[in-house]
Amino acid sequence: MTTPSAAPTQLNLREWLKTITFYEIFVGMKATLMHLLHYKPVTLQYPHEKRTLPDNYRGMLALLRYDDGTEKCVGCDLCEAACPSRVIRVVSAEVPGEPTKRYSKEYYMDMTRCLFCGMCVDACPVDALGMTREFEWAVYDKRQLHLNKQQLLAIGDRSFPVREKRLEFQHPNTAFFNVAFKHVPPKPD
Amino acid sequence: MTELGLRVAITLTQISVIVGIVIITVLLLTLAERKVLGWMQDRMGPMEVGPYGSLQPFADAIKLFFKEDIVPAGANKFLFTAAPLLALIPAFIGFAVIPWGPDLTWEFGGLSIKPFVISDINIGILYILAFASLGAYGIILGGWASNSKYSLLGGLRSAAQIISYELNVGLSIVGVLILSGSLSLVHITNAQAGGFWNWNAFTFPAPQIFALVVYVISTVAETNRVPFDLPEAESELVAGFFTEYSGLRFAFFYLAEYANMVLVSCVASAMFLGGWNAPYPGTLLSLIGLPSLAWIENTMWFAFKTYSFLFLFFWLRATLPRLRYDQLMRFGWKVLLPIALANIVVTSIAVFIAQQLK
Repeated sequence: MTTPSAAPTQLNLREWLKTITFYEIFVGMKATLMHLLHYKPVTLQYPHEKRTLPDNYRGMLALLRYDDGTEKCVGCDLCEAACPSRVIRVVSAEVPGEPTKRYSKEYYMDMTRCLFCGMCVDACPVDALGMTREFEWAVYDKRQLHLNKQQLLAIGDRSFPVREKRLEFQHPNTAFFNVAFKHVPPKPD
Repeated sequence: MTELGLRVAITLTQISVIVGIVIITVLLLTLAERKVLGWMQDRMGPMEVGPYGSLQPFADAIKLFFKEDIVPAGANKFLFTAAPLLALIPAFIGFAVIPWGPDLTWEFGGLSIKPFVISDINIGILYILAFASLGAYGIILGGWASNSKYSLLGGLRSAAQIISYELNVGLSIVGVLILSGSLSLVHITNAQAGGFWNWNAFTFPAPQIFALVVYVISTVAETNRVPFDLPEAESELVAGFFTEYSGLRFAFFYLAEYANMVLVSCVASAMFLGGWNAPYPGTLLSLIGLPSLAWIENTMWFAFKTYSFLFLFFWLRATLPRLRYDQLMRFGWKVLLPIALANIVVTSIAVFIAQQLK
């Protein structure tokens, strides 16, 4: 009863004409024909052309080195603690013969679980972890995504060719830890 | 005996040429459909196989050829095997009466042959309609024999749909038959010679333009194409009647669908748009002094009209969403059927008056 039963006659006539002449269908067909004539595909032919990645792209994880080739990682386990998906497993150990210095004896990443949140990178106190721009990591065997330390270092080597200096050589006022203090002159006795 | 042998050899040659042309057309269509759909939807279509994806149909054919042929458990093996052939043969057999070039007679070895039609039988269009209806059996039996609920539902839908729309196809053609007074496609096409104003769609006493519209819509429904693709609705029935089919049998169904499209397009252009007749009187090639080559122009016109219809099929597919089942039935019985019947009445009256005035 709320519907206006006495709608204007002209409107009804126009609607009726539109119905019997398939007006809406012709509008749609014109739209598709216009897309055909003004052909601008939005397709990116992926393996042949790749899109530009954003600057903060979070791709494959990697372990980094200092410019003298030593590993940055100090085995602090903070990345393991920060990881929400339990991707990372670190086995920390003392550097042999240097009781104050630690390193990661073993470092495993199960990339099948990683969600690329970047929390491990944020958590690292020595910037030993980096996120590369690699994303084509499809494999036939999932076990190939269980990476060890050597593999992660290799990814870091190929993705970050420019390395940082060791912390203690960067600036006199840089805070650092976990070094052997060999560059500091010994205390006078 | 030699005459019979020669006759058989000539007919077999004609058949193989036409089947070859149809299969090549189907190969082209599978590519063209994906390309045109892609272009209309701002995509590219197949791009990987060959330059710009031009070899995609061959890749598809090879893939289908080497795929495993699976017969589902509990399927009726005989009917499951027979159904693709039942769909394929009627789709191809209709091309026997399609005139795809001028009605010439060539003398060859003491025999007079018609090069552009395999068999000019006097019930041509009836023959095509009869075999098109037989093609429905392939779909229905394929759906039933698969022992799958999706296939069965697809087959049932297809049965109801084809019965509903076959009627409209037949009735829309009656107007043309009244105008030309013949069932032979060769005769119907010959009667439309001399310019597009003589084509049955625009001819004087009763233009069959409404019949053409009814025919095109009904054939879209009959060939199970979008927007009437309820028998093979992907979102509801996986693939409808050929859900369980794979390999070469699937290829047969696919081939049958596209061959049916080509067939109904050929019939539409022959019945309504003058077939091989150019839209102007005579041909340009005979005008410039090459009347012996005029058949090239005529066959090109026939191909152009047929391919235009096929393009229309793709265009509709790119544009329209699928109808609901009750909408499909209502549209067929309450809209198209009255239009077709009214067209027959109007055409009969107009032809009668035109004859009285003559």
